Amino acid sequence: MFAETLLILALLSLAVFAVPLRLKGPFTLAVTGIGALRCLAESIAVLGRGYGQIETLITSPVFGDGYAATDPLSALFMLICSLAVIAVLIYAQGYLRPYLGKKSPAQLSLHYAALSLLYYAMIGVVMCRGAFGFLFMWELMTVSSFVLILFDAERREVRRAAMNYLILMHIGFIFLVAGFVTLRAAELPATFDSLALYFAGHNPLPLFLVFLVGFGMKAGMFPLHVWLPEAHPAAPAHISALMSGVMIKMGVYGILRVALAIGDGLLAVGLVLFVLGIVTGLWGILSAAVQNDLKRLLAYSSIENVGIILLALGIGLAGKAWDNPLLALCGVSGALLHTVNHSFFKGVLFFGAGSVYTATHTTALDSLGGLGRTMPRTAALFLAGTAAICALPPLSGFVSEFLVYFGLLGAVAEPGSGTIAAACGIVFLALIGGLALLAFTKLYGITFSGLPRSKAAAEAREVPVPMIAGAMIPLAGILAVGLAPGLFTGGLFALTGRLLGIEGAPLIYRMAGPDLWKITAAAVVLAGVVGLVCGYKKSLLRKRTVGTGPTWGCGFGAPSPRMQYTGESFAEGLQSLSGRAATGRPQMVGRGEIFAGRHNLDVRHRDRVASLFSAWWVELLRRVNARVMATRTGKVNHYVLYALMFLLLILLLSLTNLI
Amino acid sequence: MEGIISLTLLVFLALLMPGVVNRTRAVMAGRRGVRFFQHLHNVGTLLQKGAVYSPSAGFIFRAAPAVCLGATFTALLLLPFGTHGALLSFNGDVVLFAYLLALGRAALILAAMETGSSFEGMGAAREALYGALAEPALLLTAGTLALVTGQTSFARIFASAGSLPPQMLIVMGLILYVAIKLIIVETGRIPVDDPRTHLELTMVHEVMVLDYCGADLALLHVAEWLKAAALATLAANAVASAFAFNPLTVLALALAQAAAIGVVESLQARNKLARNATYILTITALAFVVFMLAYVLQQNITIG
Repeated sequence: MFAETLLILALLSLAVFAVPLRLKGPFTLAVTGIGALRCLAESIAVLGRGYGQIETLITSPVFGDGYAATDPLSALFMLICSLAVIAVLIYAQGYLRPYLGKKSPAQLSLHYAALSLLYYAMIGVVMCRGAFGFLFMWELMTVSSFVLILFDAERREVRRAAMNYLILMHIGFIFLVAGFVTLRAAELPATFDSLALYFAGHNPLPLFLVFLVGFGMKAGMFPLHVWLPEAHPAAPAHISALMSGVMIKMGVYGILRVALAIGDGLLAVGLVLFVLGIVTGLWGILSAAVQNDLKRLLAYSSIENVGIILLALGIGLAGKAWDNPLLALCGVSGALLHTVNHSFFKGVLFFGAGSVYTATHTTALDSLGGLGRTMPRTAALFLAGTAAICALPPLSGFVSEFLVYFGLLGAVAEPGSGTIAAACGIVFLALIGGLALLAFTKLYGITFSGLPRSKAAAEAREVPVPMIAGAMIPLAGILAVGLAPGLFTGGLFALTGRLLGIEGAPLIYRMAGPDLWKITAAAVVLAGVVGLVCGYKKSLLRKRTVGTGPTWGCGFGAPSPRMQYTGESFAEGLQSLSGRAATGRPQMVGRGEIFAGRHNLDVRHRDRVASLFSAWWVELLRRVNARVMATRTGKVNHYVLYALMFLLLILLLSLTNLI
Repeated sequence: MEGIISLTLLVFLALLMPGVVNRTRAVMAGRRGVRFFQHLHNVGTLLQKGAVYSPSAGFIFRAAPAVCLGATFTALLLLPFGTHGALLSFNGDVVLFAYLLALGRAALILAAMETGSSFEGMGAAREALYGALAEPALLLTAGTLALVTGQTSFARIFASAGSLPPQMLIVMGLILYVAIKLIIVETGRIPVDDPRTHLELTMVHEVMVLDYCGADLALLHVAEWLKAAALATLAANAVASAFAFNPLTVLALALAQAAAIGVVESLQARNKLARNATYILTITALAFVVFMLAYVLQQNITIG
C-alpha cells in the first residue's frame, strides 16, 4: 500500500507541467509534501517499532526479482530525506521567485518535476533490496539530480560541472553493477540480502572495495570527490542543500548496507574505512579552509563531514571485530547521528548561501561582508549552522562528534588491540574539528561581519519569508538534537545494536555510556551564565555613557572596507603550513605590459586530485582518440572494408590457433 | 556540596595565578613589581567605565565576552579539585571541556571579525590556526589520562589515579610539562604571544580584543584567568593524584605552574610568528610521545 501511494504521488507530481506558472511551486510543495509527510510517518513508525515491512513493488516485471522493504536503517535515511525535501520545497518558493520571469514555464516545470523525482528516487534507493530495482532508482537519482544541476544551463561552467557529474556518477554505477554481477556469478540472487551469504563464503574485502568505489563516488570520498566542489556551486542553492544534505548520504547508506552484511573479516573493512575517513576529512577541511567562494567552501566541508562519518563508521566496525561493543556502538551511532546532523546543518548553511546569492548576486567571499546588519535573520540562521558544524556545544554537531570521541576514549581507556588506532582517531578528529572552526569562522566572519566589500553587498536586503521558514525546519533539528540529546540516544543505540547484531545494546549504553542529559545540564548552565553576565553588563552600562567610535586603525583615520582582512589572508597561515597539498597558486591575469593597467589576481584554488583529470595523459588519450576517430569517415565502402578486414583477422587468428 | 568547594577553589586559584606570574617576572628581573592583586584593581577600574562600540560591531561583538566567560565557567564545573569532586561529571566529559574552550575561542574570533579591522582579522586568523593545532594535544592528553586510569570523566580519572603504580608518576610529570605548554598557547603567553607587546602586527590574543573597553574587557580578562586556572588544575590534579591527592597539593602545583610560566616569560624571547605553528605542532608530537610511553608502561604492567 505504501509503495503504491508513493508511486501514484510521484506520477501525480509530473502533472506540474500542466499547472499555471505561478502555481507550479505551491503545487509541487503540496503534492510532494504529502508524499514526504507519508514517508515521515512511515519512517517514524518503523523506527519506533524497530522492524519494517516488506513491500512488493507493483511493477515487478520491471524490477525483476527485486522487492522493497523498510527496515530501521532505511527508515532513518527516509526520515532525513523527507525532512530535507520539505524544507527545500518551502525554501524554493522564495528562491525561485526571481526566476519566474526569466525561465520558461517548461524549464521551471522540468526543475520541479526533477526535484520530486529525485526525492522519490532517494526513497526508492533506501527501500529497494533487489539489484534491478535498486540500480534503477540509483540511476533515476543521478539523472534527476543532473537535470537539477543544469538549472542555469546558460552558464558554461554549469554545463561543464553537470557533465562532469554525470560521467563520474556513471563510472561509479559501473562498479555497482560489477558488484551485483559478482553476486550473480556466485550463483546468489542479486539482492542486498544475499550479500551476507556471499561474505560468509568468500573474503569480503575485494567485493567490499568494488562497492566502496561505487558508493564512495556518490558520497564524495577521497579521491572520488572531484565532482562535488564543481557541482554544488553550479546548482541552485536549494538543490545544493538537498544534494549535499541527503543525496551524498545515499553513498553512506550503500556503504553501511554492504559493510553491515560482513561477518568475518570486518577488521580490514573497518580499518580501510577508518583510514579513508581520516584522509577524506583532512583533505576536505584543508581544501575548504582556503576556498574563496561560499558554496565551494561548503561543498568541501561536505567532503570533510563524509570523512568524519566514514572515520566513525570504520572505527565502529573495527570495534565490533575487536569485540569491543561500546566502541562499535558509539562509532556506528556517531556515524548515523552525524549523517542526520549533517543533513540539518548543511541544509541551513546552503540555504544561507542561497539567500546571500539572492540578495547580492554573488558568492565570492571577497565581494561580501557586513551582511549581518542588513540580513539579520539570515545571519542568525547561518551562525547557528556555523556553530553546529564546528561541533560547538550545545548544538547538534557536538553530540555526534561527542559519541565518536566517547567511543575512541573508551577504547583507549581499556587497552587492547584498538588503542593506538583509537588514539590516532582522537588526534585526527580533533585536528579536523579545529580546522573546521578555522574554515567556518572565516566563512561567517568574511560574509556577515565587518563592512561590505562591494556595492552589491552594501545594498543587500533581507530575503522573503519562505527562505527563512525553509531553514527553520533543519534549525529545529539542530536545536532538538543539540539541547536534548538524551531523548534520542536510547533509540539510536537500540537501532545500532540491532544493525550490528550486538545483544543488549541499551544495557551496555546504560552501564558504560555517557549520560547525555548532563550535556543538557551543561547547556542550561551555559545559557544561564551567559544570560546573567549579559544582564549584569546591561545594568552596569545603564547609568554610563555608551558611545560609538571608529574601529581602531592604528592611528589611521580613513580606513576603507577594502582594507579589511580577506578570506585569502585569513587562511594564509594554514596554507603556508599545508604547503600545496590541497591548493593551487594564485595567478596574475590580464597584466599590462609596461605600465600596469587594471589587473586581476586569480586566487581560485584548484584541487590537485581534480587536476589529475586534466594532466598530460588525458591529452594523450584525447589525441589517440582523435586518430581512431579519423577512421570514421562516413563512407559505406570504407565500412565494408573494415568488416572485411575484421573477418580476415578472425580467419588468420583461427588458422594460427590463437582463438 | 563537594562541587561547590571545587568551584570556589578554582575561582580562588584563578584570582591568584596572574599575581603569581607577575610577581615571578618581577623577581626574575630584579624589580619589586606591582601589588600582588593589581590585576583585580585593574578589572575593578574597567568595570566602572562606560563603553564605546565601533559602528560595524553587531550583536556578536556585544555578546562575545559573555559567551566566552560563560563557556569557560561551564568548563570549570567539570573539574574536580583534589579530593573534592566536580559539580557536573559524566563519562566523556573531557570532550565537553575541550569543546567549551573552543566555543569561547570561536566567540572571540567572530567578535574580532565584526570590527572590520584588518589587525583584528589578523589576530583572529592566528588564534583560529593555533587553536586548531593545539586541539589534538589537549584531547590526546585527556586520552593519555584515560589510558592510564581506565576512566573517561575528569572526576573518575583523578579519583582512581591514587592507586597508580609509581612508574606512572613519570607519565604524570610529562603531562604536567605538556600542560604548561598548552597553557602558554591557550592563554597567549610568551613565547607564542606576548600580552605586553605594543605592536598590533605581531599580536595574537591582544589584537583580537583591541576594540573592547570597560566592562567587556574586564569580562574577557576574567574569562582568561578562569581558562588558565582550569588548564593548570587539570595538570595539577594529574600529578597530585599520583602521590598526594589533596586540595593543598593541587593548589600548590597549580601555582607552581603559574610560577613556571613566569620563569619562561622572563627567560625566553617570543617566537617569530612563523615559528609558532611548529612550536604548537611539537606540543602535539610531545603529547603523542607521552601517550605512547604511557601505553608501553601500561602494557608492561599487565603482562609482567
